[in-house]
Formats: sequence, structure tokens, C-alpha cells
Amino acid sequence: MSHTDETGTRQRDTGDGLSSSDDERPTIEPTVSPSTAALGVETLTKQFGEVVAVDDLSLGVETGELRAIIGPNGAGKTTLFNCIMGTLDPTAGTVYLSGDDITADAEERRPHLGMARSFQSNQLFADQTVLENIRLVAQTAEQGAFSMDLLRSHHTVGRERAIEIADDVGLQANLGTEATNLPHGEQRRLGIAMALATDPDVLLLDEPTSGMSPGATAETASLIEDIRDERGLTVILIEHDMDVVLSISDRLTVLDRGSIIATGPPDAVQGNQVVQDAYLGGMREEI
Amino acid sequence: MTEETTQESVPRLPTRLERYRIPLGLLVLVLALRPVVSSDLLLGYNAIASKMLIMMLFVAGFNLLFGYTGLLSFGHAMFLGFGLYIPAIFVSNGPGLLPAGGGVTFLFGVALAVAGVAAYGYLLGRLIVGMGEIYFALLTLAFSQAIYFIVLRDPAGLTGGSNGLTQGTLPAFVEQTRGEIAIEAFGQSLDWYWAVALVFLVGMLALWQIVRSPFGRSLVAVSENEQLARAMGVNTTRYKIWSVTFSGIFSALAGVLLMIQSSGAAIENLSVFTSGDTVLMAVLGGVNYFFGPVVGAFSWLFVEDFLTGFELWQFPLSELTLVTVDLSDILVYWQFLLGALFVVVVLTAPEEGIWGYLSSVAEWLRTKLTEVIG
Repeated sequence: MSHTDETGTRQRDTGDGLSSSDDERPTIEPTVSPSTAALGVETLTKQFGEVVAVDDLSLGVETGELRAIIGPNGAGKTTLFNCIMGTLDPTAGTVYLSGDDITADAEERRPHLGMARSFQSNQLFADQTVLENIRLVAQTAEQGAFSMDLLRSHHTVGRERAIEIADDVGLQANLGTEATNLPHGEQRRLGIAMALATDPDVLLLDEPTSGMSPGATAETASLIEDIRDERGLTVILIEHDMDVVLSISDRLTVLDRGSIIATGPPDAVQGNQVVQDAYLGGMREEI
Repeated sequence: MTEETTQESVPRLPTRLERYRIPLGLLVLVLALRPVVSSDLLLGYNAIASKMLIMMLFVAGFNLLFGYTGLLSFGHAMFLGFGLYIPAIFVSNGPGLLPAGGGVTFLFGVALAVAGVAAYGYLLGRLIVGMGEIYFALLTLAFSQAIYFIVLRDPAGLTGGSNGLTQGTLPAFVEQTRGEIAIEAFGQSLDWYWAVALVFLVGMLALWQIVRSPFGRSLVAVSENEQLARAMGVNTTRYKIWSVTFSGIFSALAGVLLMIQSSGAAIENLSVFTSGDTVLMAVLGGVNYFFGPVVGAFSWLFVEDFLTGFELWQFPLSELTLVTVDLSDILVYWQFLLGALFVVVVLTAPEEGIWGYLSSVAEWLRTKLTEVIG
């Protein structure tokens, strides 16, 4: 009798205390199975010599989800991105894109499979105009990784699409500017525009608001949200600005020393003791 | 209102005149080059003008790889060598059914040179483009030296070793009288300069089409930021391989012309000095510009010829001389003067070169002029 009571109480407790309990509790497991997610990694490890940058990490991001990844410096966030995008070969583990194992696909293949990234430091075709930066990517998306298209003028390929995308990210006034002469914030946005020009299903953004003023940061955050909503993208976002993370992400994943220590809705993760320890621990180490 | 603003900010497409700026420039160049540089006031002989066009085509071919793709070849003489030696070997030997000295034999030789250089460039590219910039430069140098020494060893008596090929290398349709070359075909006689100008124009227009095509823009993406290009889905390796291939073809084409121009194949053209001069000419002219190699090759050959032939400085006129200075002792060091100019270019604007300076000055003048007028 008492046993039944206990079980009943526990069940009722959980049900009453936290509405839709499973979603809200921070967990360390992937929320969806990596092999069926829009993007997933399974038991991924990346070692640089003795240093384990990503440690047996599993993660699944649902279609249409906006996932933020946070963690102290050196937690392995960018290394994780580099493994997902094929810039680095993982030491072990598997990367899935909508259920397909793409671990062995070359880096330049992946944008054509439906995934694209922006970089943490501004990576641009510096001497080209904003239009040409985006157009080059649109051309590649249209023609494939290699095309012996010798007989046309480049003006006939990808131009309209590039102008459209520049419009979407608010760079329409800068189309004729050389990328290197753009202000920092606009360069960050050009990075997003170029990733969009690959026509991705999954978009990985590495600190898209870094170095921006609070105003520009808020603008960029709502831009990312709009892009996700309008194009139905799955977005994974490395971000340090907690306001951005809390306002736009559906789920939050906290990385520390190459492992996930918590995943869940932003509010729940924020209050998590393990997460706070990790951040505080990180700060102590830096001092 | 807003629509208007958006319209204005979109860079307009080039107008028809702007689009054909480069072909027009090339046409003006070939029409004006010989009358100007071969006039008695300047260099005073015809052969220099055609030599200039040939070297311009060669360096422009080199710059497809260097300026447009970002790959520095330190052995470009080897590609020139395909065009120099293969037709010369064919014409002087007359292999199989092809008669020695025949026009058809020559054309077969040219076809084989182009096919050979394309295959060689492609395979070499596959082998070495993935190894990084420095190794690319070193390996092109190494391969070029290997070819140089093979030719020097005179395998099967084909290449003439250190003497090169000087006897019977010209096909029957090439007429030589007192140093002037003419092409005799279909009962017509075409001056050598115009024959070169024709090939030069076709070659340069093909290069121009390559760099303005989507393919050419991908080469630029590779040279500007390879990491980004790859992340955005560009197969950088394949573009580099094809850039080596095309660059080799244009250089071999220049080699064919050079063989006729100099009545044979000289081994010096295969040497590391030729490869080095190529790099210097391109940088001197400005690797970022289509006309950079053209200006670079022109300046190089002009300064060389002008200064070495310029021994007495007579002032104010040779007919009415008040002062005479013997300059021959100083001017044999023409390479020093070019070297000094090269150093200035590299230190101030390594990718701009002479053409870059000229464009900046032209741009400045245009702004000043519009200020004054408008």
C-alpha cells in the first residue's frame, strides 16, 4: 500500500511541479536520436595529440530547431563545428545529416548536401564586392562543386539570387562595397548571407554577434530568428551573449571540456547547478 | 522612394563599352605596338615587336595561374618548352609519313604540343596542387629543372642538347629573308608580326573569356580565400588542377610562336632564368590585372633592348651634338635598373605593379577632371 502511495506521490509531484516535465529538465542525453535528427553527431571525439577537444559527444538537433551552444573558452565548440562541417576529420564518431552518415564526405561536398556555416573570424573574399562575395557562393550552389562553365559571363549566374539574399540580411545598401571595407558588423552579416546563398537546410553560425554593439547584437538576433522562421531552417548557434541565447534559442546545450554537461530549454539550463559550476570553474582557472 | 534607393545601390551591370574594354585594348595594342616600338625613334627594328607580343602571351598565361588562382609557378619555362621543342622536333625529323619541313608536319607538331602540355599540366596539377603554396613553387621548379636536364642530355638525338634545334625547324610556309619572317600560304604573304598578332589576339581573348566566366571567378575565389571557398562548396583542388592545365596550354602556344620567331628551339628558354623572369615580369606589371603581364613583359623587353642598345647619349640631337656621354659601361647593367624598379613595386604595392599605378593615376585624373568640369 505504502509502495503504491510513494509511486503515486512521485508521479503526481513531477506532474504538478514541472509542466511537460521531460522537455524542461536539463539532460545530458541527445534530445533526439542523432541518426534521425536534422543534424546529429554520435560519440564524436576529436583529439589533437594528447588534448581531447571533443570527447565522445552525442547531439541531435530537430528539424526547425534553433539550438544554441554555449561553454567556456576551450570547451570545444568551434572544434565541434569544424568536425560537423568537415573542416576537421573527427578522431572517432559519426556525423549525420537528416539520417545520412556524412562523416566521410569532403568538406566542399557538405554545402551541396544542405548544410552551411559562418565563421567565428570574418572569412571573406576580401577584395571582392559584397555582391560578388554572395554571388560566388550562389554560383557554386547552382553549378556544383566544380563546373567547367567557360563560355558565359559570370554576370549571368547567381546575380539575382545574391541581390535577393543581400536584401534579406539588410546588406542591400552595401552591394557595391568591397568586403574588406565593410564595418565589422556588416562583415559578420555578410558571412551569414554567404552561408544562406548555399541554400542550406541546416545553418551553423559561429558567434554571429561577436564584436557587435548591443543594438546591432539585438538586430542580428532577430535577423537569425527571422531567417529561421521564413526559410524553415534548422539553426545551430555558438554564442557568448546570454541575452541572445535566452531570447531566441529553443534549446541550449552547454559544453565543457569537450563534453555536453546539460541540454534543455534555456530557462531550465540557466538554473542548473552543474552549468554554473562549469562556468565558475572555468573562470577560476583563467584567473 | 525606397525602391529607387535600392535600385541605385545595386551595382549596375557593365555597359557594352565597359564589357569590351579589354578586347578593344588588345586591338589597340597590336595595331599600335609595332609602329611605335619599332620606329627609328625607339628600338628601330621589327622583330622586337613580335617578340614582345609572344612574351606578353606567355606571361599572361602564367598569370592565369599566379594572379588569378594564387599558385606561384617557379618553373613555367617547362610549359614554354613543349611549344618550342615538339613542333621543332617534328618539322626537323619528319616522323613517319609526315615529310620533314612540311606545313602539315608542323601542324601535327603543334597539335601534339598542345595535347601533350594539357595532359602533362593536368597530371602535374593532380600530383602537386594539394601540397600547399610553397611546395607548389618548389615542385614546379623541380619538374622544370628535370625537363631542362632531359632536353640537355639530347635523348635519341632529338633535342640537340646544349645547342638546341637550329637546323630545318621551320616549316615550308615560313619565309625568311634578311631576318624578316613572313608566312606564305594560299598564294598570300603575311608579315610575321601580323601572324603573331592574330595568334596573340585569339589567345588573349580566350584568356579574357576564361577569367570573366563563372569558372574564372571560382579561380579568384580560390586565390582570395581557399578555406572559405572550400567551406562554401568549391572544389578548390579541381579548379587548381585545371588552372595549371590552361596556363600550360597558353604558355605552350607562346612557345610555338617563339620557335618560329627565333628560328629554332634554344635551351636557354627552358632554363630556370626564363621561369624567374616570367615571375618578375608578371609582378612588375601587376598580377591583379589582366593587362598587368602585358605591361610587365613590355617594360622588361623594352628596357632591356633600349638600354643595351643605347651607348652614346648625345644632347640635344645626334645631328647637332653639344654634349656626348658614353653610357655603355653603365647601361650593360640594365637588369640592375629593372631590379631596382621591381624592388620599388614589391615594397610599395606587390599586387598592383606598373598597371596598378597607371590605373590609380588615371582614376585620380578622372576625379580631378570631373571636379573641374562638373
